[in-house]
Amino acid sequence: MSEERSSEHGKNQLSFKDRPIKILLAKPGIDGHDRGILVLAKAFRDAGMEVIYAGLLPTPEQVVETAINEDVDVVALSLLNGAHMTVFKKVADLMKERGVNDIAIVGGGTIPDADKPKLEKLGISGNYGPGTPISVIIDHVTKRAMEARKLKESGQ
Amino acid sequence: MLDKIIEGIYRGDHRSISRAISIVENEGDSENTRNLIRQIYQRTGNAHIVGITGPPGIGKSTMIGNICALLSERGKKVSVVAIDASSPFTGGSLLGNRIRMQESLTKYGVYMRSLANRGINGGLSRSIWDTVKILDAAGSDFIIVETVGAGQADLDVINLADTVIVVLGPGLGDEIQAIKAGIMEIGHVFVINKMDRQGAYIAMKDIEETLAMMPRGEWKPPVVGINSLTREGYDTLIESICKHRSFCETNREARLRKFRTELQMHIDDELRRKFQKDINGVLKDEGRLEEYLLRRIDPYSAAEEIVEEIA
Repeated sequence: MSEERSSEHGKNQLSFKDRPIKILLAKPGIDGHDRGILVLAKAFRDAGMEVIYAGLLPTPEQVVETAINEDVDVVALSLLNGAHMTVFKKVADLMKERGVNDIAIVGGGTIPDADKPKLEKLGISGNYGPGTPISVIIDHVTKRAMEARKLKESGQ
Repeated sequence: MLDKIIEGIYRGDHRSISRAISIVENEGDSENTRNLIRQIYQRTGNAHIVGITGPPGIGKSTMIGNICALLSERGKKVSVVAIDASSPFTGGSLLGNRIRMQESLTKYGVYMRSLANRGINGGLSRSIWDTVKILDAAGSDFIIVETVGAGQADLDVINLADTVIVVLGPGLGDEIQAIKAGIMEIGHVFVINKMDRQGAYIAMKDIEETLAMMPRGEWKPPVVGINSLTREGYDTLIESICKHRSFCETNREARLRKFRTELQMHIDDELRRKFQKDINGVLKDEGRLEEYLLRRIDPYSAAEEIVEEIA
């Protein structure tokens, strides 16, 4: 994070780009395989993001409430138990219900290729599987975060 | 847009509170932040701010979860802000406090926000002062502020909180540690967590003896032993917090001191802003710096001269 601060009255102290991306990592549903998400948590932190991990077994309601309370840019969901079409969708639906359109949702885990377009349609992008280079995931998250921020700025 | 957010804050709407905190966190003292605080300031001053500090891993977050539950059960509205450390190398941060208290948060609909300290030392973040005002205006009875896992000298919380709780545990050191300056001097309530562990009663006794030797004010800090797994000792802890709250209400001196500190902080910022351009000009003046490099003028005298000139 650069220390370049504007001394001008009314200017943002940290420029928009330098503000850390805030991301919530969650494994909603009954799934205890948390090795992957913990590796990602550390990788995102090292990429300069502010990372919140929701812990094991949060409900979709908890994930959405946390995302709103923390005003994150991105929610990253991970499941390896095959319930993604149910649980990821529930998170996306709840977000819509609460009128939240300026928080991006990305997914990952063991997701069959056939399900990926369906998730995309729900606004859940990425959907990376095992073996994906971490840099690819970070780039994608960064891109989605910037989109979400633009929406936040215009909606504020 | 700000009006809509402010109206939401008064309603206690979590989304509006969130957005407002993002403004003060991300924009520093921008015009937006100033307008927001200007407008809500009249509605603040009702919440009691409880600062929780102590070394990393001692159980601060878990304890806050339990306190939230107990205060909520007594009909109080509680909000939580927890601060974690940012990496000085990447600016990244792992905000891990929420995970320890999630159960209580969900059960009682408590608003909780994690903040990264973004390079500010002292245990707090720059935006915490305004964040607390937002939660205050949202109608909180209690605002619990958790500091970064603190060392012996991260004491800023004393300027922010009405009640400071210092959380300690067994195995942190002997009575010599307990008589050191710093963190032992700022607590209004001392908590020994993990009372089921060996050495907990000795730790409690060490703290009590240390406190007994300190110069006594009107308030005598209690030492409370708790076990966060069984919730033993929590009733005494809540009682101590409430007692200190009543004590604060009659203590004008403490409130004045807090306000003075905050004002000083803002005045410093305003002064710096006002003169920063001139200072930058001077710092870019190579001729002047040359003199300094040639040892013709020492830094103290140079600074005096420059300030004299600008002001």
